[in-house]
Amino acid sequence: MDMKDTAVLQVCDLHVDFAGTGHSVPVVRGLSYRLKAGRVLAVVGESGSGKTVQALSLLGLLPPVARISGGRVLYQGKDLLTLPDEQLREVRGQKISMIFQNPAASLNPVLTVGEQLCETLRAHRVISRQQARKQAANLLQEVGIAEAEKRLDEYPFQFSGGMCQRVMIAMALALSPDVLIADEPTTALDVTIQAQILRLIKNLQQASHMAVVFITHNLALASQIADEVLVLYGGLCMEQAPAAALFAHPVHPYTQGLLASLVSVRSKVERLPAIAGQPPVAGEVPSGCPFAPRCPHATEKCRAELPVLQNRAGRLVRCWREEQK
Amino acid sequence: MTARVEIQHLYKTYARRGWFSKKAATSVLKDVSLTLPANRVLGLVGESGCGKSTLCKVLLGIEEPTSGTVRVNGKELFKVSARERKELRRYMQVVFQDPYSSLDPRMTVRQLISEPLDIHGLYAQDSKRESFLKQLLHSVGLSEMYLDRYPHEFSGGQRQRICIARALSLDPQVLVADEPVSALDVSVQAQILNLFKDIKRTRQLTMLFVTHDFAVARFLCDDIAVMRQGRLVEKASAQELLEHPAHPYTQSLLAAVPEVGKPLQALAAKAPITGEEELEEICPGHWCARYQ
Repeated sequence: MDMKDTAVLQVCDLHVDFAGTGHSVPVVRGLSYRLKAGRVLAVVGESGSGKTVQALSLLGLLPPVARISGGRVLYQGKDLLTLPDEQLREVRGQKISMIFQNPAASLNPVLTVGEQLCETLRAHRVISRQQARKQAANLLQEVGIAEAEKRLDEYPFQFSGGMCQRVMIAMALALSPDVLIADEPTTALDVTIQAQILRLIKNLQQASHMAVVFITHNLALASQIADEVLVLYGGLCMEQAPAAALFAHPVHPYTQGLLASLVSVRSKVERLPAIAGQPPVAGEVPSGCPFAPRCPHATEKCRAELPVLQNRAGRLVRCWREEQK
Repeated sequence: MTARVEIQHLYKTYARRGWFSKKAATSVLKDVSLTLPANRVLGLVGESGCGKSTLCKVLLGIEEPTSGTVRVNGKELFKVSARERKELRRYMQVVFQDPYSSLDPRMTVRQLISEPLDIHGLYAQDSKRESFLKQLLHSVGLSEMYLDRYPHEFSGGQRQRICIARALSLDPQVLVADEPVSALDVSVQAQILNLFKDIKRTRQLTMLFVTHDFAVARFLCDDIAVMRQGRLVEKASAQELLEHPAHPYTQSLLAAVPEVGKPLQALAAKAPITGEEELEEICPGHWCARYQ
């Protein structure tokens, strides 16, 4: 079966609102992307850009204040947003699984790691306790935990942050999903552990031809792991392009600003070309382009009218300057 | 006037007492010796749990060391009288990592940045204080209109500016910054780093800048010290240390720093680095611990 070119997961015009006092606040404003098998898409954004909310909505994990007000999420021809809970549960964890930012908070502190892994396995597969335990040990070994058999009987507090994240990854991969959603999986970890976890995700992803949505605020990480990068700002896609092209030649002023303001180990600069101002707070996003108040090139048109996302030679850009070219 | 801080053979041990017996103590700082030369920024780099923050606390006089000395302009911080210590601490201020938890939500910006002035009895006259506060806010890039607002009305970057204003209100000579940009958004981090560079230059500050990010250290610091499990393993000028890292631990940290255009490193099983040795000078100004 040729799955190379068809998307495993397709997000079409997704809108998510948060209930505010008296009115609703748009958090994700018409997001679309296609995820192909065996590819890594990095969703890059700052706090409040909607990067986590869009991921949670794919799996029906949104908090009660959030409401999906439009769009579709297609997986194997089914719209996950309208799927009954029971069927969604079949997909969640088994076909599409997720790892979160804070590994220590995502594990149950009163159950052993083994119990939690076996629970995942036995919830979706008809296997005996012994079989589940054996598989769980194999999984731990696969994510690089030594003496896996022994460590199954330990509790999360006996694991370091990096080890907890490995357990989370083992759990997410337990049922060989088609899609892995990783929401800032290394933010709480030290750099050396971060590099190990990133390498681990990449290795497992390549070995099983899994598709990954990698959510991060760190452009450097995105450049290391992603095939394609989507830059979110104020709930909108500002630019989406193959990773190599995006980093070599960023087109949107926001992407350019972000890349320029990165500090580097390799060279010393006297002053960082910082983007002025603050990222918009949901609910206070300006009516035109959300980046206009901070953009060095902004015109009247930018402030008045939201630019449309246009295709420019294989990349998507939301900027009026591109229109004029 | 500029200050010089000398830390010598600092040890900090937290005793864990059992009910019936004294249990093994945890050593957090082991034989740390450092000098903060006047008007320079020293970057202290290390992973979580290595003792960076404890060192900050000892330096500020918040925690007492188990042994060792901290000298500020020649005066021993933990030997002087309480009165003198208060005076010394006036000249040493701090900016913490998380601007969301380090500002009292019930206080206005005016109260937050004038509290240190009240404690030390400065600018008691209203008119003078008002113009001082306005000027202080301007110096950290905030408008004077913000004086009567509360912390929740500000974003993370703006809050960190308030924290910096509060630290600068007593015109300190030594500023300790404990991971002050790691909780900020990427686009805001650059602004705050530029601000630190500005205040260092305009105020002739001696700074200890704690970070886990070598890239941040390269931008801001003159010298860098690398810490591991409570010990210093290497120290040198920023350029020397980053371009010629000598200790395998420094090398492994540097290799793991993600950068645009740098390929992901392979998973390598590394031999554990052992050896708890004193630093020795491997070339002028470059100190490195021996290792096996």
